[in-house]
Amino acid sequence: MKKIPLLLVAFLTITSCSKNNDDEVYEDLPNLTERQLAGGGTTIFSDNSNAFSTVAPNASGSDFTNHAFGDAQFEQSFVTAPATVNGGLGNIFNNTSCVSCHIKDGRSAFPSNITNLSGLLLRGSIAGFGLNGSPNPIPGFGTQIQNQAVFGSVPEARYQVSFTTINETLADGTVISLRKPIFTLVDSYIALPSNILLSPRIATPVFGLGLLEAISEADILSKQDINDLDNDGISGKANYVWDPVLGQTKLGRFGWKANSSSVLVQCAGAYVEDMGVTNYVFPNETGFNQSNGQDGLNDDPEISNGILDAVALYCKTLAVPASRSATNIDVRRGAKIFEEISCVKCHSPKQQSSYNAIASISNQIFYPYTDLLLHDMGADLADNRPDYLATGTEWKTRPLWGIGLTQIVNGHTHFLHDGRARNITEAILWHGGEAQNSKEKFKQLSTQKRNELLAFINSL
Amino acid sequence: MKTYLLRFGILAIVTASILNCSPNTDDISAPSDKNLELYKAVLTNIGTNVITETLKDFSLKTTALKVASDNLVIGNNASLTALKNAWLDARVPWEKSESFAFGPVLTDGAIGVIDVAVDSWPVNTTSINLILSSSATINTALLNTNNEARGFHTIEYLAWGISGTKTANDLSARDILYLKATCADLAFRALNLYNNWLATQDNYVANLINAGQSNNTIYTTQKSAFIELIDATSGTADEVANSKIENALNGGAGGTANPNLDESQYSQSSKLDLANNLQGIQNIYLGDYNGLDGKGLTDIIKIRKPDLDATVKSKISEAINAINAISGTFATAIFNDRLAVANAQAKVLEVQALLDGDVKDLLSNL
Repeated sequence: MKKIPLLLVAFLTITSCSKNNDDEVYEDLPNLTERQLAGGGTTIFSDNSNAFSTVAPNASGSDFTNHAFGDAQFEQSFVTAPATVNGGLGNIFNNTSCVSCHIKDGRSAFPSNITNLSGLLLRGSIAGFGLNGSPNPIPGFGTQIQNQAVFGSVPEARYQVSFTTINETLADGTVISLRKPIFTLVDSYIALPSNILLSPRIATPVFGLGLLEAISEADILSKQDINDLDNDGISGKANYVWDPVLGQTKLGRFGWKANSSSVLVQCAGAYVEDMGVTNYVFPNETGFNQSNGQDGLNDDPEISNGILDAVALYCKTLAVPASRSATNIDVRRGAKIFEEISCVKCHSPKQQSSYNAIASISNQIFYPYTDLLLHDMGADLADNRPDYLATGTEWKTRPLWGIGLTQIVNGHTHFLHDGRARNITEAILWHGGEAQNSKEKFKQLSTQKRNELLAFINSL
Repeated sequence: MKTYLLRFGILAIVTASILNCSPNTDDISAPSDKNLELYKAVLTNIGTNVITETLKDFSLKTTALKVASDNLVIGNNASLTALKNAWLDARVPWEKSESFAFGPVLTDGAIGVIDVAVDSWPVNTTSINLILSSSATINTALLNTNNEARGFHTIEYLAWGISGTKTANDLSARDILYLKATCADLAFRALNLYNNWLATQDNYVANLINAGQSNNTIYTTQKSAFIELIDATSGTADEVANSKIENALNGGAGGTANPNLDESQYSQSSKLDLANNLQGIQNIYLGDYNGLDGKGLTDIIKIRKPDLDATVKSKISEAINAINAISGTFATAIFNDRLAVANAQAKVLEVQALLDGDVKDLLSNL
């Protein structure tokens, strides 16, 4: 009953004094209204620090219950075994709980102190391939460098970082000073071989992963253009990786290089490699056969199958925060610029999930702004470490959903695989390779247009 | 939610249009301005006189705890008792602060993440014992790589012992070195957290006070700040009922008690933790702290729905009373007074449902 008079007042008021300025200059701007539902039915309207941490509103009863159990497990800290509660940490590890890196289910900052516990870790390998096309493990170290150990054990090595600076000048004269971190290992527990390849990885938000997993392979592959047949300078290539659960090679979807095929494998790998907690997918300690890696206990797997499955389900059923300010004129103009300078060619706005056993993520239209494909991002961003089919200059297109909430959720705006970018402008300026043209166009934007583009990205 | 946005959008259009072309705006805009003033007063009081003051207490009490650790003497029971009392005192503002656990406490800032360094649980007793029996220097560098061997519960373990019966004669020189280092570390982090919020320092409180102002990158609307507060309080109630109580009460085999999941088990003070968690919720809701009456969420709710306001107030009080009515310690009650523990859990769940339901709905529709 109340709505009718309100609408009437609105109509009368607007018609009585509107000057119809809009008709004078017509701008063809994208309609972003639909895209507000960034996660389809899993979308929540939240713009506070819990924006990444809420169960999908359409989660079913049993998924809701298992999500809550997974949520509790995601927060558990592990300690040295044997212990009455949560034993199994290490012996070597990077951090002690899921949430320590994915704080508020979000993104880690660049570490304030590289020696301490943080959300950044280093992957490592030597030239060549390991089993099933994986990176070739460093003898005695594996493919991840654990820089922490339970007291009494020795970490594989400590991390050190130094920075070089690259300056970029924008069209309006603004000079942006970019920092490039260079990581090295010190105090290794045994001598490191020469010519090891290191790749820094920072913890990413964990919401919306179920939707990404439910995109059909055909949809992802349809965006491939490995040989750039359309001659737009942008290729796009799928990674294919070993799936230890299925025992076969599968399309890679997760991780900075799409080097993980499923949320379950990603979670299982994080338990064993990041925390030293064995599980049914990876029943051997990360330091198996290393002098510093064995706990000497016959306690594997150190978490139940139910815990691992619940944590994977938790990540799959976290709600996606809605985009904001969809009708704001600056945001809409920014969306147009996002198209004009070809950001959309890799950060594909729209995706669709196929049928999934988890009802809440099944058959959804959603807006992650990623094609899940690998792209050459140029020498300055390269880690020079191949990962399955990903070359040393290729990275998977990161989803952009929720990116504008990073400040409120995590208290920082550090982006890219090693957290080097201190804001979105810096992150854009690190784009090279296939994105070089887009970056150059970004640099040429007027101050106003640049701010409009940033307003759009921050609305996601 | 879409319906709400639509309605809000129309209201905004109406307001904007009226303001633009009506010569007589006072009658219509005045109530709105008054509301905005009230909202700002509530956010200012909660941010300044509840949150910042709670953290000031946390800093002062942890500094007192550090002093108590510096005064420890082997064989001097008074010095150990003073430390234990100082620990219990410091626990009070910390547990209250869990009702606003957002912002700097969960940010990987200049000194790392404060929350995990302060209150990590469970403690790594194996590591602590190995550290004690080693000759390693117990300093900040060691603590920085051992979150589960620092902070409140490590201090608790060192002060009370695993059976809770430690006396000053049981203290070793290494115990005292460890206590001094980790108490100093705790006090340092508490002071840092207080300074993060303090208006004359890092001024995080300004984000609440100035919610909705164009230069506010955290809370772009006052509503967003209110939802932050309500999510934090309902989140605390959720943790108390579904984690802290549930795990200890029913976390054993076949839904039996599990004393290993009792959080403050060495000091046997979990009941105080739970009550102070609820007290923290009450402080945010009422806007009161340490006997000082200020504006809280109640001052908004009572205008719109006085019955709801009365219900929330009574339910929070009932939950606190139900926790205090648990006989003996929490660790004994989960075996011997299960009905009382379950009753407290039910009361806290009622608070959570109200905050996350009707109160959040109302604040979402301001």
